[in-house]
Amino acid sequence: MKILIVDDFSTMRRIIKNLLRDLGFNNTIEADDGLTALPILNAGGIDFLVTDWNMPGMQGIDLLKTVRADPKLSTLPVLMVTAETKREQIIEAAQAGVNGYIVKPFTAATLKEKIEKIFERINAQ
Amino acid sequence: MEALNKTEQLEAARALINAIEQDDDDRIKTELMALTNARESALFQQIGKLTRELHEALNNFKVDARLVDLTHNDMPDTRDRLNYVIQTTEEAAHKTLGYIDKTLPLANELKQTAAKLNESWQRFRNREMSATEFRDLSREIEAYLPVVTMHAGEIHNNLSEMTLAQGFQDLTGQVLRQVIGLVGEVETNLVKLVKVAGQPQQSGETKAVDPLKAEGPQINAKNKPNVVNNQDDVDDLLSSLGF
Repeated sequence: MKILIVDDFSTMRRIIKNLLRDLGFNNTIEADDGLTALPILNAGGIDFLVTDWNMPGMQGIDLLKTVRADPKLSTLPVLMVTAETKREQIIEAAQAGVNGYIVKPFTAATLKEKIEKIFERINAQ
Repeated sequence: MEALNKTEQLEAARALINAIEQDDDDRIKTELMALTNARESALFQQIGKLTRELHEALNNFKVDARLVDLTHNDMPDTRDRLNYVIQTTEEAAHKTLGYIDKTLPLANELKQTAAKLNESWQRFRNREMSATEFRDLSREIEAYLPVVTMHAGEIHNNLSEMTLAQGFQDLTGQVLRQVIGLVGEVETNLVKLVKVAGQPQQSGETKAVDPLKAEGPQINAKNKPNVVNNQDDVDDLLSSLGF
């Protein structure tokens, strides 16, 4: 299981990386916005995407839409971890096909719960 | 000569008509002069008032020289200050995370070795252990105790470093307070400038806001009906939509 973490703040990437490691996901890779994430995704081998929304270059919501529109990537599970808390935004992300939506600041328990829920649903399909 | 009010003007006009009707040339001249003087006087008063206003406006512009100073000196300085806040908080976060990375394996090692020793100790207590095994266990315990002392010392040291790393709050707090003060000053000066420049036309239409625009953390979220307050609200919203 290889996970791509996309966030423009290196500390947040590090926090997510450490939490994922505690959950048993040791294979992670990082990108600082949608534009740097896409080549990594296109190179293949990524099984799970964790992304922020508000980033310079390409924002998380546009990265999500790009992923869903690409036949090679369309089924990739995407978990959004963001400080964006407007109802319209959450609905937009859901309609764009996000698999989970976590608002910052978040806890280790929330991250665990959402990731488990995503895998439960994928396995149930 | 003072400007005449309406009654006085009417009186002067009637006096003039009266003088014309009576063909009194001297009085016609006097009354006409009185009316003209009054008219000119009103005009001069109006010009005087405008001059005073212009003078005040120009003086206000001089006060707003502070705005120029703010633009040239304080604003670039403030950008540096805010960058300092980003840099300092980032350094502190990385420093703390670094010490956590150093501490976690120590705690894990202590936990795992203690669990293993405890298991052996219970076997010894239950008399399930041979003399050879017990000698091994004794050696393990002997080796473990100094490791505990060493690791605990290191963990203590790392925790102290993490505490020190929180000192950024004091520094960034001071810088942010200065920036808040500056923003307040700029606001006051801009309000003055707007007053001097006159009221702009109020545009009737409300500014269009893109609800999807990324805004970062919401301040005063409780007062914004379209903003959720926590993860539970997000989960409720998504499940209400069938996601």
